[in-house]
Amino acid sequence: MKKKVGSFFHHLLLIILVVIWLIPILWLVVTAFSGYPGINKTHFFPETWTISNFTTLFLKPDSVVQYGRWFSNTLIIAIFTCIISTVFVLMVSYAFSCMRFKGRKTLMSLSLILNMFPGVLSMIAVYFVLKSLGLTNSHLGMIIVYSAGSGLGYLIVKGFMDTVPVSLREAARLEGASELQIFTKIMLPICKPIIVYQVINSFLLPWGDFVFAKLMLNSGISKDYTVAIGLYNMLDRSLVNQYFSIFCAGGFIVSIPISILFIIMQKFYVEGVTGGSVKG
Amino acid sequence: MKKKGLALLMAATLAFGALVGCGGGEASPAAEDSTQAADDSAASDDSAPATNEDAVANLVAATKDTVAMAVWASEEDQEFTQGLIDSFKSQYPDVTFDITLGAKSEADAKDDVLADVEAAPDVYAFADDQINELVNGGALQEVVSTYTYDVKDENLAGSVEAATLNGKLYAYPMTADNGYFLYYDKSVFSNVDSLDSMISEADAAGKKIAMMVSNAWYNYAFFKGAGFDVSLNEDGVTNTCNWNASGATDVAQAIIDLGKTGTFIDAKEDADIVTGITDGTIAAAVSGVWNADAIKEAWGDNFAAAKLPTFTCGGKQVQMSSFSGYKMIGVNPHSKNVGWAMLLAEYLTNAENQVARFEARGLGPANTEAAASEAVQASPAIAALAEQAAYATPQRVGGNYWDPANTLGLTLISGNPDGTDLQTLLDNAVEGITAPVE
Amino acid sequence: MKDNTNKKERFSFVGYFKDLVTAIAKGDWSVKLSMLFMGAGYTFHKQVIKGILVTIIEIAFIMMCIFYAAPNLAKFGTLGTVQFEQVLDPLTLQTTVNDYDNSFTILLNSIIALFLIVCFVFFWISNMKSVYRLQVIDNAPDSLLKKRINTFIEDINSLFSEKFHLTLLALPTLGVILMNIIPIFVMIAIAFTNYDQSHMPPNALFTWVGFANFKNILANSMTVTFGYAFKKILGWTLLWAVLATLTTFIFGVLLAMFINSRTTKWPKMWRTLFIVAIAVPQFVTLLLVRYFFGDTGIVNSICSNLGVTEFLKSVGLVSQHLNYIPFLSSEHWAKFMIVMINIWVGVPYQMLIATGVLMNIPGDQIESAKIDGANKFQTFVSITMPYVLFIQGPSLITDFVKNINNFNVIYLLTNNSFITPDQALANSNAKEVDLLVTWLFRLTNEYYNYKMASVIGIIVFIISAVFTILSFTRMIAGDREGDYQ
Repeated sequence: MKKKVGSFFHHLLLIILVVIWLIPILWLVVTAFSGYPGINKTHFFPETWTISNFTTLFLKPDSVVQYGRWFSNTLIIAIFTCIISTVFVLMVSYAFSCMRFKGRKTLMSLSLILNMFPGVLSMIAVYFVLKSLGLTNSHLGMIIVYSAGSGLGYLIVKGFMDTVPVSLREAARLEGASELQIFTKIMLPICKPIIVYQVINSFLLPWGDFVFAKLMLNSGISKDYTVAIGLYNMLDRSLVNQYFSIFCAGGFIVSIPISILFIIMQKFYVEGVTGGSVKG
Repeated sequence: MKKKGLALLMAATLAFGALVGCGGGEASPAAEDSTQAADDSAASDDSAPATNEDAVANLVAATKDTVAMAVWASEEDQEFTQGLIDSFKSQYPDVTFDITLGAKSEADAKDDVLADVEAAPDVYAFADDQINELVNGGALQEVVSTYTYDVKDENLAGSVEAATLNGKLYAYPMTADNGYFLYYDKSVFSNVDSLDSMISEADAAGKKIAMMVSNAWYNYAFFKGAGFDVSLNEDGVTNTCNWNASGATDVAQAIIDLGKTGTFIDAKEDADIVTGITDGTIAAAVSGVWNADAIKEAWGDNFAAAKLPTFTCGGKQVQMSSFSGYKMIGVNPHSKNVGWAMLLAEYLTNAENQVARFEARGLGPANTEAAASEAVQASPAIAALAEQAAYATPQRVGGNYWDPANTLGLTLISGNPDGTDLQTLLDNAVEGITAPVE
Repeated sequence: MKDNTNKKERFSFVGYFKDLVTAIAKGDWSVKLSMLFMGAGYTFHKQVIKGILVTIIEIAFIMMCIFYAAPNLAKFGTLGTVQFEQVLDPLTLQTTVNDYDNSFTILLNSIIALFLIVCFVFFWISNMKSVYRLQVIDNAPDSLLKKRINTFIEDINSLFSEKFHLTLLALPTLGVILMNIIPIFVMIAIAFTNYDQSHMPPNALFTWVGFANFKNILANSMTVTFGYAFKKILGWTLLWAVLATLTTFIFGVLLAMFINSRTTKWPKMWRTLFIVAIAVPQFVTLLLVRYFFGDTGIVNSICSNLGVTEFLKSVGLVSQHLNYIPFLSSEHWAKFMIVMINIWVGVPYQMLIATGVLMNIPGDQIESAKIDGANKFQTFVSITMPYVLFIQGPSLITDFVKNINNFNVIYLLTNNSFITPDQALANSNAKEVDLLVTWLFRLTNEYYNYKMASVIGIIVFIISAVFTILSFTRMIAGDREGDYQ
């Protein structure tokens, strides 16, 4: 009996916590269906319900809302960013984890320190570097911004590779495999969980960034935007009273695929991220 | 080790190729421009006789290539502006245009324009408060002469003054409705001449009066109303301010007293005002036309607007001043087609299109005739603005005005919680406002 | 520190130049000729293709110097002297622009050029060394041990076997140079110039001012309050970083333990529910929460309906003149809320990671503690927490550095809605709740004060780098790397 009471309070506490964590999300979802376009400050639930916010997003693009375009822009950027940065990170991690060469430690610590430099600071210089390459206002430029420096974020993947027994590689070497073959045929399959983690992580980056995107995509032409700047833009002083519920609808839609990815990633997060540190 | 060299070399060549290649292409845009301009004028010499005094004809004759231009207008103005651009194109059938229209709110056009002037659009709309920073940043082409109508003659004197800096005209006035005034609910107030009487009427009805006092743009109304000034120095960046002169503490005290009533409240952002009005807590607010639709919807037939009221300062009734607000069209001097950009700017702001803008979007025209028309005067918000115009001054302040004055407003409306001596408070604020740009 | 095996992997300056001197001193004529014509050594030691490639690079480098580096570096000392001038001819509507200097472009191009020159010097040195090595191999007496000189094909192949790391690192390094290193050098350089609103290219020029900006950050007068603001903001930045890191870490571990406990039914479901909260892009939730807790926001409406506002007023937590709770608009409330909201944002991540760590806790230790009569709290303090700290220690320091630079949370929650009541802070465009990075962002984005922003950025970088280096010994010098390898 005592156990049951304990269990009841245990779960009650969990429910309370989950409610705290989900209230803002619930507000997002219900506001997405609100008939009042501005910010509802007196009632949690909307007074009138509608799905017109969603139809505006997809069926009635205007100069402010080009959701379909934003979504496909972001998707393209995200796919390429994800491919390039995953490849970069894997390459750097393999070099640092499985190979021994002069200056390795120096390079590793140097990259760690570089990775600590606040991106916000060098943003304007990055902009002018890209401008001199003629890549501002282009999706290619955005892909470069998101993926070019990704090699610096090798730490977690390298940690995982460190836990792979060296004997596997030794055996392959004895059979005459080159490093390239060891990398592609042996290491990559073992690293599957951490690759999934890396893929999803880098895929998510363009969906959430508005600082760089706002600076780089500065033509003011709505159909060039990514989801993040498009949505951020709706909260402009002159727009927020007409677009807040559409903003919520847009936020809700973009969260669906991301939630699914996160739920898939959950397993790999636990296995991959901590795998390296625990097993080691 | 030699392979390391090889890799380095690979990296270097790549970087090298990329950077040098582009460096060459980009090295001197200026030189390119000037040669292009030279070519163009040579071309015009060939095709048109040098005696031709019609600049537009000269320009048309000199234009051989497609004229590519970018335009920025606010989000709400997109459809209307696109229509104007299309009809502008049809006026010059011999010229091929490639005009793209982007959306950028006039209120913060400066932020995006100045981030990279060269990449900024050829023609853009902005609010007049940004004019000195834009001129200072070299983002506005001086309007040396006009071709299709006379900007100085046809527009309201205030709007021309607002578009002029150090005696030079820098922009084309587009609307005269970007200032603030008083919105009130007719069913609550019988008299909106003085804040004191308004406060007692609001109290009786259990409602509030809102103003963004902790916002420098609005709290200027109190100080300027009482005769204390802040203005821009000739360097175009720093300010002169006498808000700490003798008698100014009366203004500070007046704001503190207003805050203490509990009826006159500070709104942090526009959304606070609109929401307060929608849910019925606020019955009067100082705001601008951008909120007119939302407020009208909430109050319906009781919707009314007027000039700002008077407030009690040192025992006297003082009329609140305001910043006059205009929206302008500016031309970017870094444009490849400054001439065409100027013609387009003129077209977007001519009398006919200002009337059309009022009809389509309800925006108050800056054109003298259009502003005087009956239809325009019938709009309560625009009539109120016109009434307030007598007390309004153009916005001539440098960037250091805003943060210190925001803070001053917040401190005063909060009742000066630290109990700092008012003179010290004002001295500190003035020191911040007039600080050199460091 | 058990670091004896790793020395080779560290860069040694003395050794580096010693090798070069040897190469120059003992090299034959072709090696010595390589000092001028870099391909010479290779060509005369049976590596013709490589000789040609190296020569091409040398030529390209010289071209770069003449056409790119020289014109820019010539102006590097002044950062340009010719100001932008444009004249419009009112009759023809044509503009003429002079051949003006753009200080920023000069600075950027000069830094790129300098960078390429430095790269070339390294390339030249390694070229000398490898040419000398070729000579040594070539001249060695014939024996079974004599190494054969690689053919070009073999060199290429080696890039996929023993030299594979070069192939792997080449592209990522190029990316980092482009996106990180060059921009960082540009920003560091700007800290020594007067690049601000009165000196904005392309219309105006800026120039070098030495350490004036660094003096400003230490200055303390009412007109130049950067020193005052800097100290205040630095203090809050560090406090914030500690609070944010510790709170999310501790609550994350607690939550993970709570969900993992045997009493919990369907632990996966609970975990997933928490994950949903972080799946919405951060900027969406943060902006939402900001309106949620606005001065006239929904939480305030509810609190005032329930009388919470009045209660807080009566106990003095909300000042008397307010009729709302200033969640995000007064200093102490805002700081408290920011930390709480950060817990909301960060705990699910930490929970996920902690879940993994906890699963691997050696069970026997807990069992034996239980047998010794330790209660749950004691086991937590003496076994679970030390273990988790041991595993996550380094990542805590990384989190700490990330929090120092946590732009999103602070910026999105307080931008445009928080007004500082402190005149001295306002005078240098700062707010109590600003972190160094958000202050820096507004300085550049709204006030174009690039020079001061760069100074602040350098300081942030130094702070971050120090903490990174502190944790570096554990993260890289790596106890775990050695275990399997």
